[in-house]
Amino acid sequence: MSSSTRQFGDLATQLLLESRRSTQTDTLIKYNDTLVRAVIREQRDLEKLIQVDMNGDHVNEAPTPALLLYQTAVLRNKRCLLAYHQHRIDFLRTLFWSSGASLPHILSPEFRSRLSPQEVDFLRTYNTTLLSYRSAFSAELDLTAPITHPPKDLHALVRVIKDCGVIQTESGAIDFRRGQRFMVRRADVEHLIVQGYLEEV
Amino acid sequence: MPPRNALFDDDDPMEGPSFIRRAVNAVDDDDLRPPGNHNLGPGFGGDEEETQLQQLIRHWMNERHAPDILPMQEDVLGRLLDHIRRQSQTVQLLRGDPNSSEDEHFRIVLAQTEIERVKFIVRSYLRTRLFKIEKYARYIASNQEMQERLSQTELDHARAFAKLTESHYNISVLQSLPPHQQLLEDAAAFTPPMISEPDKSRAVFVHAREECPPVRLPGGAILQMKKDQIVLTPYSVVEQLLAMGSIELV
Repeated sequence: MSSSTRQFGDLATQLLLESRRSTQTDTLIKYNDTLVRAVIREQRDLEKLIQVDMNGDHVNEAPTPALLLYQTAVLRNKRCLLAYHQHRIDFLRTLFWSSGASLPHILSPEFRSRLSPQEVDFLRTYNTTLLSYRSAFSAELDLTAPITHPPKDLHALVRVIKDCGVIQTESGAIDFRRGQRFMVRRADVEHLIVQGYLEEV
Repeated sequence: MPPRNALFDDDDPMEGPSFIRRAVNAVDDDDLRPPGNHNLGPGFGGDEEETQLQQLIRHWMNERHAPDILPMQEDVLGRLLDHIRRQSQTVQLLRGDPNSSEDEHFRIVLAQTEIERVKFIVRSYLRTRLFKIEKYARYIASNQEMQERLSQTELDHARAFAKLTESHYNISVLQSLPPHQQLLEDAAAFTPPMISEPDKSRAVFVHAREECPPVRLPGGAILQMKKDQIVLTPYSVVEQLLAMGSIELV
């Protein structure tokens, strides 16, 4: 190959490192399109090498050691690529749920720039799929409300962090404006707390 | 107008202890066991008939502790959901009634809080299942036995989700690879399979609700649990007992 000292699989290792870094810092790093493409290119190069090797004179003999090496590299790269993408979807799903299953909330322009177009599509389809599942229970309960702490009180004292307009509550419509405080029924505003519009005092 | 005591009807065998009685007995943390009971309390000891809610709590805990997906408790869930709906309607009516006394308003608040707490358990139960269903979606899609443990909506979701992840793999990675490498499955030696299955060898804490028939441990020894005994064993050992309801996971 070229004079560089790079080995097969180095690029894929970098991809995995990104995933690991993302887990450790609990942030979603920008989709690394360049690196993904580079690994895919390496796969094509490997495929060509394999083809050359297979078309050699030793058709009837055992596979050459080089062939085994290429094949191992191909499989490993592929697995790494899939793992990188899987890790990202898992992260996105967790984020989606923790923001109260609200698509507009997590597809903010700033966050969206870190996703690949395919990932945005994935989230959209996921949301639709989930809607049909949730609708089976929508008469009784909101499946997307938080499940970390069981409710102890019916009401909660909240402070408004961001204006969120007029919200229908049990005791009528309330216009939440920044800085105000309200005593409201928890179930009515739970999604606003999750999305950071309100804060419990 | 429903009868005044509709909220607190003790006689209906479906409903379990009244809100009042439960409120009186309730401990003030999130622990769901009534206090002052030397074994683990009703629903844990199996002395009394379990109420719907206690059944769901048991299934909820089992579901949360089991590595595998357990059969969906559609009956219990359906009845509880009906109950929630009826209670909410009754509460709405009583709240709107100008003749409700101060005392009644206090009871309404208790009833509403209880409804919210029941909803929490239902939600957590469904979400726990949903989490596992998505995790093993591709396994479920190819396994008849798993499919039977899911409700129809869950199964639809599992299939849709499996399809969604596969198409995401295809669009993002596989379709750009050379033709020989485009399959999702490579049956290559020494690589773990692409479809993840529940790990049934995971250790779980088991509480015997009754005298249990003997089960064989992986080493060949026999384990026979007495009532209220608690043991730590691999999930696969007690899988049958759990399905029979003789044990619960804690």
